[in-house]
Amino acid sequence: MERRKFLQAAAAAPVALAAELHSDVPRYRVVSRFQPSAHPGIPGLYPATVARVHAEKSIEAQSEKIDTPVVREMISRGMRSLTGDADARDSWARFFLPADIVGIKVNCSGAPNIMSAPEVVGEIVRNLGVVGVKPEQIWIYERFQNQVDTVHYDRYVPAGVHIWTAERSRGAILSYDPKTYVDVNFFGEDDTRSNLIRLISENFTKIINVPNMKDHGAAGVTGCLKNIAYGSFSNVARSHSGFKSNTYSFIGTLATVEPLRSRTVLQIMDGLRGVWHGGPFSPTRKFRFFPKQMMFGTDPVAIDRLLIDVIDGKRKAENATSVWDRSMAHIKPGNGYDDNPSIDRLVREPGHIEYASKLGLGEYDIRKIQVRNIEL
Amino acid sequence: MLSFLLAALLPGLYWDQDAATADAVKQAGVEQLFVAPDQVAAWKSAGFEAQAFDSSRRVKLPVPGVQYRMDVASATRIPWIDANGWRFARHSDRPYYYDVPRGKAMLAAAEAYAYGADAVVHPDPQDLELFGRMLGFLRRIDQPPLPAMANIGIIDDSSAQTGEVLNLLARRNLLFRVIPAPDPKFDLNVKIGDQDYPRSEAANPAAFSMTIRQKLTDEKRLVRLFGSDVVLARLTGDGTRLRLHLINYSDRKVEGLRIRVRGEYPHGRLAAFDVKNAELADYAAADGVTEFTIPEMNVYAVIDLNK
Repeated sequence: MERRKFLQAAAAAPVALAAELHSDVPRYRVVSRFQPSAHPGIPGLYPATVARVHAEKSIEAQSEKIDTPVVREMISRGMRSLTGDADARDSWARFFLPADIVGIKVNCSGAPNIMSAPEVVGEIVRNLGVVGVKPEQIWIYERFQNQVDTVHYDRYVPAGVHIWTAERSRGAILSYDPKTYVDVNFFGEDDTRSNLIRLISENFTKIINVPNMKDHGAAGVTGCLKNIAYGSFSNVARSHSGFKSNTYSFIGTLATVEPLRSRTVLQIMDGLRGVWHGGPFSPTRKFRFFPKQMMFGTDPVAIDRLLIDVIDGKRKAENATSVWDRSMAHIKPGNGYDDNPSIDRLVREPGHIEYASKLGLGEYDIRKIQVRNIEL
Repeated sequence: MLSFLLAALLPGLYWDQDAATADAVKQAGVEQLFVAPDQVAAWKSAGFEAQAFDSSRRVKLPVPGVQYRMDVASATRIPWIDANGWRFARHSDRPYYYDVPRGKAMLAAAEAYAYGADAVVHPDPQDLELFGRMLGFLRRIDQPPLPAMANIGIIDDSSAQTGEVLNLLARRNLLFRVIPAPDPKFDLNVKIGDQDYPRSEAANPAAFSMTIRQKLTDEKRLVRLFGSDVVLARLTGDGTRLRLHLINYSDRKVEGLRIRVRGEYPHGRLAAFDVKNAELADYAAADGVTEFTIPEMNVYAVIDLNK
C-alpha cells in the first residue's frame, strides 16, 4: 500500500470505532504525511492527571485586574504539582529543550473581554526562557488577526517573540498546510477541507495549549480540545448550521491529526475569567464570572471533563439550562441567545469530550481522573 | 488571419461617448469598439475600427457579481452568485451584451472571455481604463480555444426549470455540457423528467444539484476549488493540455485558492490579472490528480496545465 494512503487509512480507523457511539457521525477522511510520535503529546506524559490551582487574589472581579505575581505562583505550583518536581525549572524542562520551536495556542475569540490572559501568556514565555528557549523560537498564535490585535500580547513578552495569526483577512488559506487536512462534507458545502496551520506542520516542535473556561453555544463548553482543534484548522465554522452542530465528532477528529496531536505537549487552562453563557464570545459582562483558577495537565480530555462541571455548575446556579439539555424548546434563532441564558441557537454537544476520549485523546471517566487541588 | 481569429474571442466594448473621448479610449488600449450608429463615422475618422451597436440583436445579460444575503438562512452559507456561464453554455451561438455599473466591467469581460462568448460590454465610463487593462491581459493570454470539459451531460428541454438547474450546477462548479442525447463519455447523463431525475425533485434546483453531486461523487469531479465560494471555474482541454479559467465574482481579492484537477499534469503555469509574478504554489501531480495553490487572484486567473 502506498504510504500516503496507509496513513490516511490508519488515521481513519479510530474515527470509525468512535462513530459507533453516535448514529450520525459524518465520514471523515484525514490526510497527513506525518507519523504519530511514539509518545504523542496528547494524552501525553501525565494522562488522567490534572493539577488545579485556585487563588482568590489572582484577579479582582470588579476591575478585572490580574495580579501577575499571584499568576506566577499559580503557574509555578501547578507545574510542580503536575510533574512532582520541587523546582519549576525542572518541571518545564521535562517538556521543552532549548532547541524547541514552541507554539503557544492562545484563545482570543472573546477578546478583548476574555482571552488567554496576556499576564498568563507572559509568564509561560518567561518559563520557556528559563529553560533556554529563545524569544525568537516562541510563537503566540491564533487564527484571526482582528481578535489578537485587541489583546496586545507584545506588551507582556520579550522582544523577538512572534505574535502570529493565520488569517489576516477572514477566509485566507495561505497560512494553512495544503497537504494536511480533514475532508468531510457536513451540509453539502463545496469546500470540504479543513487544513492544519502550516506553522504547526512545518515549524513548531512543541505546542502549549492555553484555553479559557467558557460556555460554547455549539460545543457545550470550549476548553482544551476545542481550542486546539478549531483553533488550528481552517474552515471549521461550516460544522454548524441551523440548530445542528457537528462539534460532537469534529473536535476530537481534528485533535487526532498529526502532527498536531504529537506536538501538543502541555495544556494550561486559564480560568481566571470565565464565560457561563454566550460563549465563545463575551459581548456582555453579565455572563462573565471569575473561577480564579488554572488547570495544568497533558490530558485535554481530563481537563475538559472538569470544565464541564465548572460551566454547568455555574449555569445551574444562575438557573440557566444545562449544557446537556437537548430539548428543542430552548432552540430559538435570532438574537435572544445573546441576552437570555435559557435560549440556545444550536443543540449543544458537550459529548464531544467523551467522544475524544474514545479516540484515545485522554480520560473522560471522572472516577479515574486524579485531581490535585491547590489553594493559594 | 490568425490574429483576427484570436481577437474575435475577446469581448467588445460598447462606448456611448462621442469621439471627443477618443484619446482616453486609445490610452486604454482599445482599438475596436461598438458605438451608437450615428457616431460610427466620427470614430472611424478618429482611427478606430468602429461598428454600430444594436442592442436588439444581442441578449442582455444580468450584471455578474455576488450578493451576500445575511438575512437569508442558508444551509451551506454559500453566497448568492449572479453568473452567466450557464447561459453561455446553454446557448453558445447567441450574441450577448452586458450593461454594467461601475466596478463590474472587468468581471463582465473576464466572464465572457472565459466562456468564449460573443459579448459586448457597456461599462460605466469611469471603468474604461480598467476595462482596457483587462482587455490587454486577455490579449496576452489568448490562444485558440480548446473544447469545454465536463463531468455531466445535461439533455436540455429548454425549460426554465432546467435553466435554473444549469445555473445551480455552474455555481457549485459541477462542470456540465448541454447535449442533445445521452453520451457515455460523461460520468453522468442527466435528463430532467427521467426516472432518476424526476421533475418534482428538480423543482428544488439547489437540492437537485446536490443530488447530482452525490451521484457524480467529489472524487470524479474534474475540478474542485478549496478556499473560496465565490470563484467559479471553466475547464477546457484536449487530453494532453488543459486551460482552467477562474472567475472571482466578489469585489475582494482571493488570498489563496487550492485547486484539485483530475488527471496528472506535471507542468502548470499561472496568469492572474493584476498580479505580478504570479506563480502556482505547492504543486503536486500524483495519484491521478493535480493539485496546486494560487496565492492571490483578483477578478480572473488562467492556469495552463500540460502532461
